[in-house]
Amino acid sequence: MPVIEVADLRKVYGERTVVDGVSFSVEQGEIFGVLGPNGAGKTTMVECIGGLRRRDGGSIRVAGMDPADEGVAFRSALGIQLQESRLPDKMSVEEALNLYASFYPEPHDPNVLLERLGLVEQRRTYFAKLSGGQKQRLSVALALIGNPRVAILDELTTGLDPVARREVWDLLEDLRGTGVTLLLVSHFMEEAERLCDRVIVIDHGRIIAADTPEGLAANVAADQRMSFSPSTSFDLGILEALPDVHGVTAAGERVTVTGTDNVASAVIIALHERGISVGRLRVDQPSLDDAFVALTREDVGARTEGTVAR
Amino acid sequence: MSGLATVVRRLPQTNWTAARAMLRSEARLLARNPAVVIWTAILPVAASIILGAIPGVRAPSHTLGGLSFFQVYQPILVFFAITLLALQALPDVLTRYREMGVLKRLRTTPVSPAVLLCAQLVLIFAVAVGCMLLMVIVPALVGASWPRNPGGFLVTYLLGAWAMLGLGMLVASLFHNAKVAAGFGSFLFFVLQFFAGLWWQRPEMPSWLRHVSDVTPSGAAVQGLVDTSLGHWPSTLHLVVLVVWGIVTSRLAVRFFSWE
Repeated sequence: MPVIEVADLRKVYGERTVVDGVSFSVEQGEIFGVLGPNGAGKTTMVECIGGLRRRDGGSIRVAGMDPADEGVAFRSALGIQLQESRLPDKMSVEEALNLYASFYPEPHDPNVLLERLGLVEQRRTYFAKLSGGQKQRLSVALALIGNPRVAILDELTTGLDPVARREVWDLLEDLRGTGVTLLLVSHFMEEAERLCDRVIVIDHGRIIAADTPEGLAANVAADQRMSFSPSTSFDLGILEALPDVHGVTAAGERVTVTGTDNVASAVIIALHERGISVGRLRVDQPSLDDAFVALTREDVGARTEGTVAR
Repeated sequence: MSGLATVVRRLPQTNWTAARAMLRSEARLLARNPAVVIWTAILPVAASIILGAIPGVRAPSHTLGGLSFFQVYQPILVFFAITLLALQALPDVLTRYREMGVLKRLRTTPVSPAVLLCAQLVLIFAVAVGCMLLMVIVPALVGASWPRNPGGFLVTYLLGAWAMLGLGMLVASLFHNAKVAAGFGSFLFFVLQFFAGLWWQRPEMPSWLRHVSDVTPSGAAVQGLVDTSLGHWPSTLHLVVLVVWGIVTSRLAVRFFSWE
């Protein structure tokens, strides 16, 4: 039985429909990604699910409860890490965890969480003195301290440097299999690719794709892309003539070729026959990033056409 | 969603363990940021102790209608402290907590952010009462007079504190920017101190101005404190004025306060 069920969710601000008929469900223990560009309606949507905003239509069940009732039982079953929420500067890590633990009927042991989140050394450090990554890990800890069935994490790694981001990802990977369901809001594809079991992509308040991260990437008809530095300069027309090649560009030493799945071997063979070797070769599969760009671009395209047709 | 009104209705379900933890936590934070409290408390407390210690200041003065300088100023200073705490310290903390997302964060937990507001109110009130006791007890020990009607003095003080804390909450409700709230709080503070008689003592005000002062919370409270210091009961008018200010400001604050 799904632990989160959202059906036809709608939220309107004045004339603007921010969430426009979103439906999905998340199973217990899943890490579920909500992706989308900035301003797509992700935060509004999860704030409706978290009981922070009143919805204008549709239904939401979280652990069998309706967020609109705002009950204590609902808030105990759900942990939320909010975008841009801070703690008082002079509150220490340990104090924050103990304080939040006192709010819940069956909290986790703060010491266990400190250990798990790698914050043991910072336990007496004031919030203001923590690094960005440590602040975010503490924020995750506070979302989990109540032993929730569902945790919503909104833009967890935005604004973190790559090292801090990886720290937070490692932590979330450790949580997999503990039974807690994670709803991860992000506009960061690498994050979703690495962590999420399933994702939905939201744009203009609607779901434009729903799949596993791999499925999403594979379904996009994106070209394979290779780039290399040839041993000598040559006529790019040689490559353009190949059936597997869709496009060739050169920038300085570097040549970039896009084409079908076979493009890499076709290019290397063709150049080898002419005595040209291929240096510093790089081949990229279409990633979730490409899928995301393709999807959101299609969405804009569909909208523009729609407007014209009308 | 107007949260505070719902919360007031749900007050009986309060989680007292959490409320105690919150109060302890806020007290600790206050102790770590003592500057606000020290600067608010030190001036009125020091002034009333010094005034109480100077014999000339304790002598009756003709220009003050037979009252001594100390008798006129002690109530003003007692009220000065609670006004400063309620209109500066309280909105400052609450608007900053709102800006930082602390209140919104609490909304996601089973404990309401109203518990945090209450903890702040309790702390600010406790500091104000501490200041008031210092301003009454220390001067009396060095030779000034005790309030002759301590019960009436206390009742007037509590009603005055209610009106001021309500006003402070209202400032925190109406202004979302901490700096704007602080600025408006200062403005209100000076207006209230004017009507309390800080610069122009109430006995010296023209009667029309004294009538205006009578219906301000500061004028009513200070006159009530003066009356009870002398052994009288505060006038009904002043008590009613304080109760009305208390009710109206509290109700409006509850109505307009938002968590984010």
